[in-house]
Amino acid sequence: MAMDVEILDDPKHHRYVLNMGPQHPSTHGVLRVLLELEGEYAMELLPVLGYGHRCHEKIAEHKPAKSFMPNTARMDYLGALIYNHGFAQLLERATGIEVPERAEYIRVITSELNRIQSHLLWYGAYLLDLGAFTPIMYAFDDREHILDILEDVTGSRLTYCYFRVGGVSKDIDDKFVTSTRAFIDRLRSRFPMYEGLVNGNVILQKRLIDVGELDPKICSRYGITGPLLRGAGVGYDLRKSEPYSIYDRFDFEVPTETKGDCMASFLVRFREMEQSLRIIEQALDSLPEGPVMAAKVPKKLKIPAGDYNSSVEAPRGELSYYLVSDGTDVPYRLKVRTPSYSNLSVIPEMCQGMLLSDVVSAMGALDLVIPEIDR
Amino acid sequence: MELFYSILPELIRIVVCAVCGAVIVFGNALVMGYAERKLAGHIMLRPGPMEVGPHGLYQLVVDGLKLMGKQLVVPLKADKPLFMLAPILAFAPVFVPLLVIPFSDKLQGFDLDVGYLLILAFASINVLAILIGGWGSNNKYSLFGAIRSVAQNVAYEIPMLISALAIIFMTNSFSLKEIAAAQSPVWFIVIQPVAFLIFIVSMVAETNRAPFDLPEAESELTAGFHTEYSGMSFSLFVLGEYANMFIICSVATVFFLGGSSGIPLPYFEYSGIIWFLAKVYFLMFFLVWIRWTYPRTRFDQLMNFCWKYLIPFSLVNLLITVVMVKLL
Amino acid sequence: MDIKAVKTGWKKLAKAIEDVDYAVFGYDYSVSLEQSNVRDFATMMLDNGFYLVDLMAVHVAPSIEVVYQYAHVETRCRVMARAFVDSNNEIATISDIYQGANWHERETRDFHGVVFTDHPYLEPIILAEEDVDLKPLLKTEAALKDVDVVRRKQPEPKVETAAAKSQEPS
Repeated sequence: MAMDVEILDDPKHHRYVLNMGPQHPSTHGVLRVLLELEGEYAMELLPVLGYGHRCHEKIAEHKPAKSFMPNTARMDYLGALIYNHGFAQLLERATGIEVPERAEYIRVITSELNRIQSHLLWYGAYLLDLGAFTPIMYAFDDREHILDILEDVTGSRLTYCYFRVGGVSKDIDDKFVTSTRAFIDRLRSRFPMYEGLVNGNVILQKRLIDVGELDPKICSRYGITGPLLRGAGVGYDLRKSEPYSIYDRFDFEVPTETKGDCMASFLVRFREMEQSLRIIEQALDSLPEGPVMAAKVPKKLKIPAGDYNSSVEAPRGELSYYLVSDGTDVPYRLKVRTPSYSNLSVIPEMCQGMLLSDVVSAMGALDLVIPEIDR
Repeated sequence: MELFYSILPELIRIVVCAVCGAVIVFGNALVMGYAERKLAGHIMLRPGPMEVGPHGLYQLVVDGLKLMGKQLVVPLKADKPLFMLAPILAFAPVFVPLLVIPFSDKLQGFDLDVGYLLILAFASINVLAILIGGWGSNNKYSLFGAIRSVAQNVAYEIPMLISALAIIFMTNSFSLKEIAAAQSPVWFIVIQPVAFLIFIVSMVAETNRAPFDLPEAESELTAGFHTEYSGMSFSLFVLGEYANMFIICSVATVFFLGGSSGIPLPYFEYSGIIWFLAKVYFLMFFLVWIRWTYPRTRFDQLMNFCWKYLIPFSLVNLLITVVMVKLL
Repeated sequence: MDIKAVKTGWKKLAKAIEDVDYAVFGYDYSVSLEQSNVRDFATMMLDNGFYLVDLMAVHVAPSIEVVYQYAHVETRCRVMARAFVDSNNEIATISDIYQGANWHERETRDFHGVVFTDHPYLEPIILAEEDVDLKPLLKTEAALKDVDVVRRKQPEPKVETAAAKSQEPS
């Protein structure tokens, strides 16, 4: 009897462990979160990673840097072109290869299409997490158009390997331009529908507002970037603050919110799609003629010794490639900093004391792509 | 023998009612199973089932065969008797409420004085089934679903009863037939719109349908209380859910939409069932429609909504009704 | 952010500070640290509003180098801070200053076996639990390069301090 009393006195007595994942509908892949619950309140969370680890960094040390391009696409299957972009830029910086104007424009256009595609999938999947079954079909309907457009020019629908060191592998044609313009009009006409059907819904707002609040301080302690940071009120977007490629030529805004809750990042992502459309539109208007590959790209691309970094704005935040070279064409060390890895690490602090349903909302707001975390 | 002949009509009546009940339950499941998938498809801009038969009409037959052929998996440490009992308990009681529903003036199993109470009593058994199913599965997600379901159903029975009570005060009867008959000039939805709204909301929650489908909240609890069920034991839950939807929509029709009243048809005391079913299936369509439109609420919001808004409003509505009944 | 003031702060802790050409190398400053100064440096960066982009290890002779990448949200200022681990492969954790470093440090321990002292939970994160001693990114004897080999060949930026000049690897 005495022991029972002792157990009851223990404040953790009521707790029990719930294993969420690796096969759970709202962990979106093979992520596992151990939840210590008290009733329905998650008191402690422990994410368990690594189910999808494919040793990309080890692979990179064993083949010429140029041949690593397809691997970049496999890390984040939703932002494959942007991952291409970062890596191509890294090698171009290191070797001093100039990219032709037209190739830069094509890169920007396709990257932004890729970003919209990623956001549309997030939009549908997030609402699915919140229990709305229909929006994902509408979002996929739109997303399908992007996949078709990109398939025509890159040859694949998901894990693109389109960028090369010194340019892109294939020139775009008139069909690409017209269908992209048609898509811009289509998506613009769909935004009011999304806003009316989904964003204004009172149940949705009740589920998102004041859930999972982040302030800029927490963001900088955890290295959180991307829409989450912008939702917290910091207008930090590498396309603006460290304009890579030719992003400084375009007129676009960095949408921000102030509250830092799930609703803030939801709205930021939603508005980012419109900004990406603006970039694509301007790029299409000023698309120059010319070659799409640099004239002299050596077959064996020797990278001068030293360490190089290349950061780009991926759909989920800052993507950084860090390459250490010993002067050969094979990287000595390649480190990929993926945004979701840092973003997810905030989960134990962000979700402490939350209801199970709110944990699902908060995790959905991170827009997790698990292969990117596990690499 | 004398006795036998005296109760024979009654016996025949019971057998016929049971057969009709079974036809309604299974027929309704077929219709709703197909309609829900088609409607969901069209709401989502896709055609829904199309492959088996014209417009996928035979899809449900094939699905039924598949479900019957599946192995009934009992989890290793599940409480086997409870685990097997739960689907039966979810499905079996749905026949009884069908007996007292007045499908038309003459098509009614038994006209009980306590018809509505009987329905409420048997509808509550469903909660028990979900609870023991969730408990017996030995799965934390199932248990979550079960606990949520009990809290939700107990809470939402109250506004449902109180809002209906306003009607009962006006008609002075629990008998569904009398309530339906009392609406001959005007339906009660016109006189009691607040009660109707409260009833509809509670109805969605009672049948565990989205946006109040927390017991089976897919994205949080994988599949809630029926996570561990497979094959026929799973489909019994689904059959029970559709039958409960049908019963509760019928009650709403009787209480607020005038039962079988409508534009007169030949043999109206029988053919009124057409109007009745039309109204019931309109309400069912409404349930399907909102399920595929709205996101899911959070559990505490759902409970707050019931205790802080629905119950007080239904009480106020009841009070006003009582005062008006007294004055008029 | 006043970069001059920040740099003055660095000078107190750093062995050497180099300005790096962003157009070529993709970052602005390279700061070499004694491994005892890693925590102080991190605290200073946090106070100045930097966030931790990344933390990684590079296996070079004579010992593993840990690289901290910091960046600032207001102005472009990307800093690579480096420090070598000690003979036991140990270095102080910064996960109590930058909580985001927690997972990066666990990953570095997985891949290189660097032990971050006082880390709250230094368990395998990417690798499985049974692979605790695998350390897949350590170089073999043959592949291991000297630290000078992987350094920039012409550190054309001016060297900041006299002390740094003597310690700077050529």
